Amino acid sequence: MKTKSSRKFAGIFLMCVLLFAAVLSGCSQPGSGQERPEASGSAPASAPAASAAPGTGGTAVGFIFVGTKDDYGYNQAAYLGSEAVEKAFPDLKVLRAENVPETAEAERVMEQMIKDGAKIIFPTSYGHLDPALNVAKRHPDVVFFHQGGLKTADNLGTYFGTIWQPVYLAGVAAGKMSKSGKLGYIVSVPIPQVLLNVNAFELGAKSVNPNASTSVVFTGSWCDPGQQANAANSLIDGGVDVLTQHQDCTKTVIETAERAGIKTVGYHADASPLAPNGWITGSVWNWSDLFVDMVKTAVEGKFKGSKYDGKYRGTIADDVVRLTDFGAGVPDDAKQLVEEKKKGLLDGTLNPFKGPIEDQSGAVKIKDGETLTVEQLESMDYLVKGVVGNIPK
Amino acid sequence: MILSDILAGALRSGTSVMLASQGELLSERAGVINLGTEGSMLGGAMGGFAVTVWTGNPWLGTLAGGLCGLLVAAIHAYLVIVRKANQLATGLTLMFFGMGITAFFGRSFVSERIVGFNPVPIPWLSDIPFLGDVLFRHDPLTYLSILLVPCLWFLLFRTRLGIMLRAAGEREEVLFASGINPKLVRGAAVLAGGFLAGIGGVQLSVAYTHSWVENMTQGRGVVAVALVIFASWKPARAMLGAYLFGAAQALQLTVQQQGLPISPFFLFMLPYLLTIAALLLVERRRQSSTPEGLGRVFSGEAGG
Amino acid sequence: MKTDTTGAVLVPADTALRLRERIKPAAWTAVIVLAPFVLYGLFLSAYGINPIQLYVTMVKSAFGDLYGFGEVLIKATPILLTGLAAALPAKAGLVNVGGEGQLAIGALFSTWFAVFYLNQAPAWIGIPAMLLAGALGGGVWAAITAFLKVKGRLNETITSLLLNYVATFTVGFFVHGLLKDPGSFNWPFSPEISPALRLPVLNGTRLHVGFAIAAALAAVVWFVLAKTRFGFRIRVLGGNRLAAERAGFRLNAMYFWVLVAAGMLAGIAGMIEIAGIEGRLRPATGANYGYLGFLAAWMAWNHPLRLMLTAFLIGMIGVAGNSLEIGSGLPSSSVHILMALVLFFLLGAGRRGKR
Repeated sequence: MKTKSSRKFAGIFLMCVLLFAAVLSGCSQPGSGQERPEASGSAPASAPAASAAPGTGGTAVGFIFVGTKDDYGYNQAAYLGSEAVEKAFPDLKVLRAENVPETAEAERVMEQMIKDGAKIIFPTSYGHLDPALNVAKRHPDVVFFHQGGLKTADNLGTYFGTIWQPVYLAGVAAGKMSKSGKLGYIVSVPIPQVLLNVNAFELGAKSVNPNASTSVVFTGSWCDPGQQANAANSLIDGGVDVLTQHQDCTKTVIETAERAGIKTVGYHADASPLAPNGWITGSVWNWSDLFVDMVKTAVEGKFKGSKYDGKYRGTIADDVVRLTDFGAGVPDDAKQLVEEKKKGLLDGTLNPFKGPIEDQSGAVKIKDGETLTVEQLESMDYLVKGVVGNIPK
Repeated sequence: MILSDILAGALRSGTSVMLASQGELLSERAGVINLGTEGSMLGGAMGGFAVTVWTGNPWLGTLAGGLCGLLVAAIHAYLVIVRKANQLATGLTLMFFGMGITAFFGRSFVSERIVGFNPVPIPWLSDIPFLGDVLFRHDPLTYLSILLVPCLWFLLFRTRLGIMLRAAGEREEVLFASGINPKLVRGAAVLAGGFLAGIGGVQLSVAYTHSWVENMTQGRGVVAVALVIFASWKPARAMLGAYLFGAAQALQLTVQQQGLPISPFFLFMLPYLLTIAALLLVERRRQSSTPEGLGRVFSGEAGG
Repeated sequence: MKTDTTGAVLVPADTALRLRERIKPAAWTAVIVLAPFVLYGLFLSAYGINPIQLYVTMVKSAFGDLYGFGEVLIKATPILLTGLAAALPAKAGLVNVGGEGQLAIGALFSTWFAVFYLNQAPAWIGIPAMLLAGALGGGVWAAITAFLKVKGRLNETITSLLLNYVATFTVGFFVHGLLKDPGSFNWPFSPEISPALRLPVLNGTRLHVGFAIAAALAAVVWFVLAKTRFGFRIRVLGGNRLAAERAGFRLNAMYFWVLVAAGMLAGIAGMIEIAGIEGRLRPATGANYGYLGFLAAWMAWNHPLRLMLTAFLIGMIGVAGNSLEIGSGLPSSSVHILMALVLFFLLGAGRRGKR
C-alpha cells in the first residue's frame, strides 16, 4: 500500500518534470526565436556596463506595485504614471508586477525585470526600499527610482511628493465647513506618511477653527472595504461631519459618507463624481510628467548628478501633488481661505510645520520657529494636539 | 447611544459573515466542512457586483452572486463527495482558487460604480427608540438575512427535507434504508451553502460597500466557518455569533475614537480573540453535538 | 540548461518503463498532470496570450540558470517546514492550519533575540540561538492551540486558523512599537540583524543553507515517524484513536506535544526567513507560506520525504508566477488559478493513489 502510493506519487512528480522538459525541448524553436532579441539586448549591454551610464541601453522599464491597480488609490496613481511612460517611450517595454509583497520577494521580481531587459526600475512602495537597495548593489548599470524612500545609493534615487501640502489645504476647507468641529480620518496603520498627513490635516483645520478635532481610526489594512465602511459608520455615529482617509482604495469611504449626507475630502485621486453633494476637495498625485522626465533623464545617461540622484521631493509648486477642484457645495469664503493659504505655500511664506507644535500630550515636538527637514517630516511618529486617537509607542 | 451604535454596527458588519455561516451550517449539517466558504463569498461579491453593473439591478446581482457562490461550492461538492478528496485541503485550495479567479475576472469592475442596495428605514418601526436604530435602518439584504434564520431552523428541524439533510451528516444508513442517495443530499446542501455564502459576498459588495476590490472578504469566510462550530450547528446561535463578531469590530472602532491608550493592534485582535473565547465558553457547556460525519473529518478518518 | 537536458533524458526512460508496466495508470497520471496546464493554457489563449511561449518563459525563469533555481529552493524552504508542521500533526489525526501564525511568531521571537541579545554574538552561537528562539516562538504559539484543544476541547483546526490573524496583528504590534528600527525613520520594520547572524549564502544566488536545514528536519521527522517508538504511537493515534486509548496512551499529552513540535518546525521556518533572506522583520514576513505548506503537506499525503518534492513544486509555480505576470501583463492573482487547478486535479485523483 505504501510503496504503491509513493510510486504513484513519484510518477506524478516525474510527469511534471517531463512536462516542463517537453515544453522546453519541443518548443525551443519558437521560444528561442522570441527570446533572442531580448537576450541579445541585455547581454552586450551588461558587458560595457562599467563604462556606460546607469539606466542607458535598456529595452524595458519595470514598475512594481504593492497592491493592484485599485480604484482611486495609491497604486492607481502610480499605475497612471507607468502608462504615461509607456506612451512617451514607445521603444521601451513597460513591465509591471502588482501585489509584490514588501519583503525579499520583491528582489526576485526586480531581478526578473532586469533579466527581461529593464535598466530602469520603479519600486513604488516604501517597503520595497531595502530589497531595491540590495538589487541595486548587484546591478550598478540599472537605475532605481524609489517612491518615498529616505535612503539612497549610487544608482538609486528616491522621489516623492509633499502630499501633506494639499492635505493641509483640504484640512483648511474641512475645518471651515465643519459644523460640529469634529473631523474623521480613516487610516490603515500608523506609519510616518500616514501620521504626517493626519497632522497636516488637523493643523489646517485648526488654523481656521481652533476647536477643530480630528478623530483618527486605524483599520489595520490598506484596502478592506468592509472595514472601511465599518469605520466610516462608526465615525459618523460618533458625530463627525467631514470624513477623509488614507487608504489604498478610497471609493467606499467616500460613498458611505455621501450616503450618510456628510462632507468628504478625497485622497490619492479625484473622486468627486462619487460624492456630488458632499465632495469638498481632495489631494492627488500627478506622477505622469515626473515619471516621464525621470525616465528621460536616465535613458539619456544623465541620472548621475541630476536632481533625481538623491531625495527628490516634488511640491505643490512643482505640480507633482495637487488639490482637486472644489465640490459644488463649498462656499466662497472657504475657497478663498484655501487660496490664500495655497499662495503662502507656493511662495514659501507659509510652513504649516513651523514650530511651536505640540503633540497630543502637550509636549513641544517642534520648537518655536524651528522647521523640519525632509527626513524629519517623513519620519513623524506622533500625533499633534487636537487629534483624537492612539498610536503604539 | 454608544450601545445602540455598537449594536447597529454589529448588524452592519456581521451580516455578510452571518449569511456565510448559515450556508456553512447547512453544509456541515450534511457532513461536509467547506473551508472554501471564503472563495464562495468572493465569487458572490464579484459576480453580484458585475451583474449589478451590467443590469443596474441589485436584485439580479444578488441572484447572480448567489449562483457564483454556488458554482464555487460545486467544485467542492464534486471533489469531496464524488471524488472523495480531503475536505480541508480541498476547501483551502478553493479559497486560493476563489481569490485568483475573482481577482482575474473582477479586474475590469474595480473602478465601476453601481446603484446598489441602500439602507431602507422601515416606516414606523425605525422610529422606536433604541430598537429602531439597531434593527430597522438597514439594507434589504440584512432584513432578509434575519428572516432567513428562522426559515433555516424550520427547514432543518421541522421538515422531512431537514431530517434527510441531518441524516446525511449523522447516519447515512438511515437514508440508504429509505432509498435516498446520501451523496445527492450532501451535494445539495453544499450547493445551497455556497449560494448563501455568495449572498453574503453580495451583501458586502453590493449592499454595504458598493465596491468590488480583489480579496475584499479578508478572512470573513474563515470566521464564518469558525462560528458554525461556536454555534453548535444551530442557526440562531450562528446568527448570534456573527453579530458578536460584528459587535467586536464595532466596539474596537468605537474604543479607538475615545483616544484610550490602547494599541490599535490589540484592538484589531479583539474580534478573533472574542470568537475563540466564545468558542471556549460554549464548548465547556455542551456535550459534543458534532454531526458524526463531521467528527470523522476533524479526526482525520474521513476523506483522506 | 544542464539540469533540463539530463532530466529530459532520464525521465522518458523511466516513464517508458512504467508505461510497459502499467500503461493505464501512467496514462491516467499524465492526464492528471497535464490537464491543469492544458486547461490554463486554453484560459490564457482566450485572453490572447500564447500559452506555450509563456510556459517556456516560466520554466526558464525557474530552471534557466542557477539564480532562478536558487529562488525556487528559497521559496520551497519555508513551504517545506510549514508543510512538516501540517504533516506531523496529521499523522496523529490533528489538523494544524496554523503554520502561518506559527511562522510569524517564530520570526518575531528569533528577530527579538537577534536584535536584543545576539547582536554581538559570533555566528556559531548566534545562529543556533536564533534557531532555538524561532522554534520557541512557533512552539509557544502552537501551544496555545494545543492547550485550548486539550483543556478546552476546542477544535484545533478552527483555533489555529483564527490565531493566524491574531499572530499577524501581534507582529504588527511589535514592528510598529517595541521592535521598530530607530534607524529606519520610524517605518515599521525591526532593526537589521547583525551580519554574523545571516545564514551563509551560495555565490551568485540568494540561496542559503536554510534549505539544507529544512531538508534535514524533514529527514528527522520522517525518521521519528517511521522508525521510533514515539512515531509508532503517533501513527497509531492517528489511525485509530480508540485503539490508542485502549493501549493506555496519554492522548492529551501526545496531542499537546505533537502540536508544539509542529509549531516549532513552522517557527524555524520563520527564523530561516529572517536569517536567510529578509534580515529584518516586517509586517508581511512569510505571508501565505503557512497555507501553501498545508497544501504541500496534503499533496504529499503527509509523508515528510515526498513533501520535499511537493514543496519544490509549489515553490516552482510561485517563482514561475512572477515571470508569468511580468511577461504577459496578467494580474498577479492569475497564478493562484494555475496553482489551484493543479491542486484540484491532484485532489480529485488522490484517492486512487492512496488506496
